[in-house]
Amino acid sequence: MLAFTALLATLPVTAALAEVVVVLNSGDASISLIDRATRKEIKRLPTGKEPHHLMQTPDDKRLIVAGAGSNDLLFLDSVTGEVQRRVKNIPDPYQIGYSPDGKWFVAAALRLNRVDLYKADDLSVVKRIPLPKLPSHVAFDRESQFVFTTLQESHDIAAIDLATQSIVWRLPVGQNPAGIWMTPDDKHLLIGVMGEDFVAVVDWRKRTIVKKIVTGKGAHNFQALGDGKHVFVTNRVANTISVLDQQTFTVVRSFATPSGPDCMEVSSDGKELWLTARWAQKVAIFDIPTGKLIDTIPVGRSPHGIYFRNHAPRR
Amino acid sequence: MSPYANSVGALQAWLFEQAVQPVLYAFGAMGFAEKFFDATEWLILGAIEILVLYVLLRPLEAWRPAERWTDRQGVGADVIYTLLGRLGILPMVTFLLLSPVFDAIEGSLRLAGFEPFLLENLAPAIAASPLLSFALYFVILDMAEYWRHRLQHRFDWWWALHALHHSQRKMSFWTDSRNHLVDDVLAGAWLASIALIIGIPPGQFFLIIVASRMVESLSHANLRMSFGAVGERLVVSPLFHRVHHAIGVGHEGTHQGCNFAVLLPIWDVLFRTANFTPHIEPTGVRDQLSERDYGQGFWAQQGLGLARLASALMGRNR
Repeated sequence: MLAFTALLATLPVTAALAEVVVVLNSGDASISLIDRATRKEIKRLPTGKEPHHLMQTPDDKRLIVAGAGSNDLLFLDSVTGEVQRRVKNIPDPYQIGYSPDGKWFVAAALRLNRVDLYKADDLSVVKRIPLPKLPSHVAFDRESQFVFTTLQESHDIAAIDLATQSIVWRLPVGQNPAGIWMTPDDKHLLIGVMGEDFVAVVDWRKRTIVKKIVTGKGAHNFQALGDGKHVFVTNRVANTISVLDQQTFTVVRSFATPSGPDCMEVSSDGKELWLTARWAQKVAIFDIPTGKLIDTIPVGRSPHGIYFRNHAPRR
Repeated sequence: MSPYANSVGALQAWLFEQAVQPVLYAFGAMGFAEKFFDATEWLILGAIEILVLYVLLRPLEAWRPAERWTDRQGVGADVIYTLLGRLGILPMVTFLLLSPVFDAIEGSLRLAGFEPFLLENLAPAIAASPLLSFALYFVILDMAEYWRHRLQHRFDWWWALHALHHSQRKMSFWTDSRNHLVDDVLAGAWLASIALIIGIPPGQFFLIIVASRMVESLSHANLRMSFGAVGERLVVSPLFHRVHHAIGVGHEGTHQGCNFAVLLPIWDVLFRTANFTPHIEPTGVRDQLSERDYGQGFWAQQGLGLARLASALMGRNR
């Protein structure tokens, strides 16, 4: 009887822990929490101004929402989406990232033209590094020697040495580079060249572009399928998603999306892809095996970052 | 999905994709995509706003005019100013001019260790409630606009530009946006400077901003309308603001005018510049009576404004 009562007592908790999808409405300064099972928006929480990107903490237990306009970080429970704490005075965090060794927390301050390096454990600033125009997205090498950033308005990428906290090289890659992605073998960077129609493949050790993969106009951001081989790229102007083979650097297939495709999340079973469609102001859900659009969910203005806990590995 | 997102949002996405994004892509300006996407919403809202203003205020002006005119010559230029301003064209140009400068200033200040005082950091309740935060910014920015307006009247060089706004002898709801382009840039720089200190208000309350702009248009309307003894002290009315535009009392005296408030007359009460005397006088600038020409068309007004600015900067009389 006691065991039965205990079981009953856990039921509401289990119900409350239904998996939520967290969507950042960058134009509304809010978070949409969507029940992943029913695909209904269950709650809308206010955030700081211009929440663009989010990422999980290295232990995947918490989620960090970067408020580019409010200069803060919101820490959420990555299962329920509830706000746990707010860290103030993180200037203009557009995209953020933890180095693989867990020592660094990096924020690309797009509007302020610099990349800020923080100690990962206490978020104390170590160095603010001025860069040319619009540093937007960041990626790391496996050894955490470098953080790479795309520079949207100077049309190149920069490599910052984390040990010396200095820029060691820059490489032109094309008009308005946006998303940046390290391949699982740690050999190449993929760059979504938003002002053109290709993904640039950069051998970062040799500092050269080895291939341009034509994907569609407005190549923008990346997300892994999770099999260690394929990665999705959104093409913001063409309104498509391309699936790239990270070993052969070829487009495996593409499918159409609602307007303004941006960030993506992929389910751990590799079957569902959730997408924010910036201009359509919707989240779109695709069946990955067929590429078919399963459903769309209206959210707030200019939805950008998206996350759910049972996601595919980031490789 | 809300009716707003269904209608305005869908139109915004369509217009942006069909007309704006292809141009940005062709000119290598995709880095500005989000700004222009927002601007597309302002364009749509501005068009709706102008339509609503026309439908509501034009009949009211015809019904109870503050002044009866024999013709509407000279009103057309104000329509151009309104279209440029309310459709977001001038604000976008000002943004593109000023944002690199002010972002660089903010970046340098941050590098030097300066942390801005953000209003939402005052109390957790403000950070937790975007509407409360917006209300606080709204009040403070309205006060800042009052003081900008005071300075426009205080400094001869600034008055040289602002006098264009006052030079309309046939003041109507179209007159609110009648400003010199340099004055518009200065207004943008004023707000950007304040944003460096207190931050920027939440940007999602489009409809409140549109509503307040409509009140500003109403305050310029050629309309014999008072909001009553209490209402006159709460929101700037057509009667209250018409006193500000009156020849002489609107730009002369101890404070170089009266009734400077944009939306909330409380600032005029607090800073002793309020004039609640209910009278309707001809609008304009005193020197127009001695034949000073402020220009009839848009370009003439802009050129003459620059000439007045040059004279003022060289120390010649107001």
